[in-house]
Amino acid sequence: MAPKIAFLIALSLAGSAFAQGFKPTRTVEVVVHTGPGGGSDLLARAVATMIEKEKLLPVRMQVVNKAGGGGAVAPAYLAEKAGDPHTLGFFTGVWLTNPITTDAAKVTLKDLTPIARLVLEPALIAVKADAPYKTLSDFTTAAKEKPGQLKQSGGSVTSRDNVVRQLLQRSSSARWAFISFPGGGERIAALLGGHVNMMVIEPAEAGEHIRAGNMRVLAQVSERRLSGFPNVPTLKEAGFDVPAVPQVRGVVAPPGIPPANVAYWEDVFRRLTRTASWKKYLDDNQFEDGYQNAADLSKFYDDFTGTMRGILQEAGVKIVR
Amino acid sequence: MEIFGGLLQGFALALQPVNLFWCFVGVFLGTIVGIMPGLGPPATIAMLLPLTFLMSPASAMIMLAGIYYGAKYGGSTTSILLNVPGESASVVTCLDGYQMARKGRAGAALGIAAIASFIAGTVGVLGLMLVAPPLARFALAFSSPEYFGLMALGLAMVVLLAGRSMVKALLAMLLGLWLAGIGTDLFSSESRFTFGSLELLSGIDFVVVAIGVFAIGEVLANMEEATPAEPLPIPKGLRNLLPTLQDLKDCRFAFAQGSVLGFVIGVLPGAGSTIASFISYGVEKAFSRRREQFGTGVVEGVAAPEGANNSETGGALVPLLTLGIPGSGTTAILLAALVLWGFKPGPLFIADNPSLFWSLVASMYIGNVMLLVLNLPLVPIFAQVLRAPAYVLFPIILGVSIVGVYTTSSSMFDVACLAAFGLLGYLMRKLDYPSAPLILGLVLGGAMERALRQSLMMSDGSLTILVARPISAVMLSFALLILLIPVFSKANAWRQKLLS
Repeated sequence: MAPKIAFLIALSLAGSAFAQGFKPTRTVEVVVHTGPGGGSDLLARAVATMIEKEKLLPVRMQVVNKAGGGGAVAPAYLAEKAGDPHTLGFFTGVWLTNPITTDAAKVTLKDLTPIARLVLEPALIAVKADAPYKTLSDFTTAAKEKPGQLKQSGGSVTSRDNVVRQLLQRSSSARWAFISFPGGGERIAALLGGHVNMMVIEPAEAGEHIRAGNMRVLAQVSERRLSGFPNVPTLKEAGFDVPAVPQVRGVVAPPGIPPANVAYWEDVFRRLTRTASWKKYLDDNQFEDGYQNAADLSKFYDDFTGTMRGILQEAGVKIVR
Repeated sequence: MEIFGGLLQGFALALQPVNLFWCFVGVFLGTIVGIMPGLGPPATIAMLLPLTFLMSPASAMIMLAGIYYGAKYGGSTTSILLNVPGESASVVTCLDGYQMARKGRAGAALGIAAIASFIAGTVGVLGLMLVAPPLARFALAFSSPEYFGLMALGLAMVVLLAGRSMVKALLAMLLGLWLAGIGTDLFSSESRFTFGSLELLSGIDFVVVAIGVFAIGEVLANMEEATPAEPLPIPKGLRNLLPTLQDLKDCRFAFAQGSVLGFVIGVLPGAGSTIASFISYGVEKAFSRRREQFGTGVVEGVAAPEGANNSETGGALVPLLTLGIPGSGTTAILLAALVLWGFKPGPLFIADNPSLFWSLVASMYIGNVMLLVLNLPLVPIFAQVLRAPAYVLFPIILGVSIVGVYTTSSSMFDVACLAAFGLLGYLMRKLDYPSAPLILGLVLGGAMERALRQSLMMSDGSLTILVARPISAVMLSFALLILLIPVFSKANAWRQKLLS
């Protein structure tokens, strides 16, 4: 602990000294694995705007969309950029789960340089407002009575939606169907149209449907209650002792960059998470502050990957590494 | 009366000089983005997002929407002139548009595309204004079985896209369906036909296939002629460059059905403008009295898909604004923009922000007029492109195609795919295989497979779900009827033979 504090003090005292070690001199490329409008794309663009507004960087940040390969092209692209000081990437849980299930997704987060974890996105478990289920137990009980008859809409099988389902199924020994929809809009439309019974939804997406009386929230996938949903129990409070799997997002750099660069970027993002614009951004989206520095992030990789591998294996997904 | 008051208020806002200016900027950028193959509205809007913080939300929304519907106007230009689809929704426009250009009627085709776009764009806004809430409820009644029905209906159009041989059309379609299967399986995350290639994991982008098969294939086929083809005939004089009264008369039905079909399909979050344009082209051909001339340059073949892909924009805004549900890449980024500006898109959005909604609606009427005024004078200018001799024109087509594909994905792999599909397009031409069924299979294959498998998950494996639900049953019956068209015409021909 002591060396770390000493390091931080040294960092704040000698910030300029570090800047001499490394400073970007041209536009920084920020790689995301989705097209324009995807979750990582939006976060990256918001971060670039905030960093510019708060003058945290002497150069501009430019978002580069490297969509494809089910999310595997962007990490591979970063790996190719080994040693490039002007490239960063925004990772998400998919960068960790993809290599577990997809043979061709060879680049794992372990092969890249960790910089910082930024946000944890909690989620809500929602049903249509006229559904008979008032609590999560109502839902699992109903599912147990009619095994496989109730349905949940969500993303791919490796998505957080399905992981939450697997955890809940295991803890309640109920079973219900999971129907994948590629677009977030289609998932919500399927629930509102009464074609499925339940979904895991992001808080910002659900808010307006609840206000309009179209949706009801049974529980929140979060360790503690979100400020926007003070009356909704967390999974644990609802009686389900399962980990609240967050959607995680953060920053990585290509492999093989010197420690001075890592320290520089770590500092930029640490300062970003202390600004008022960042706090407002988290609040508007009902995200949790998930800041972790490079060293902690590296440890997080291992825990997260281990947990996910176990869950996906149990879900019957083919594991390749 | 509520609508009337709202619209008046909207026009008062939209006609403010600053909003008129941003509306013009939007539709102008949109036209350019539409003309350039590869660069699409989602990427453009994403790039412009930081700029929008300097404007009022109303101005920003007016501008971004302008890019969205403006791009649909420009999309037809390269389809007609160069056989290079400017965007996915303009693939079908190549079929008759490029043939018209080859006959020296490029101006008429471009003009009809602009007029159809204007009529349908306006119908789309009317629909958005008048029937948005009830239609949004209709859209929610649509789920996987209904989408399967819709895709089956689309796929049945293959019998209308076939050239001389139905067997060849079906083979081309099957190839398209197979190409659609390449990539990561959404349901099991397993890789299909990727042969360990990272790039193939996300499947083959159909824009690459369309540009390869249509544009590169056409260039290759033309290049083997020993004497380079004469420049295409271009009639002199402005009057001869624009559509004739007869053209407009021929397009009456196309204008109407394209507008309505495009809007209704646009409202469905899982469909999209490409499907709308294919179905509208098919409907036009199915009901046409000169069905056998389609594909040789009939003007309705341009009007129907160009209309459908424009009114689709108005339709796609319905679920976005009334439910907060985006149906396409562009509406997803518009949704994100609304959130960034501090709005909460959802079922109460219009009620909470009436002035924003109505100024957007009013601006879309204005924007469509601007687009017509902007695009019609461009027609004679663009038509001059075809004056260029083959040794100038062909390199231009190749360049535009390669740059277009590269800007979509910044991937050299896609450029290599473009070359491969160009070769395929050339072979298909030589062997007289029609290319449209290939594209149709590729566009619909993925969505259709997903819808089928989702339906089967919903019904626990029982196929009856597809016919037990009324909407999908109706669609499937229509699909069957279309499939029977060739049988009917055969029977008819046979009967005539017997009688004579």
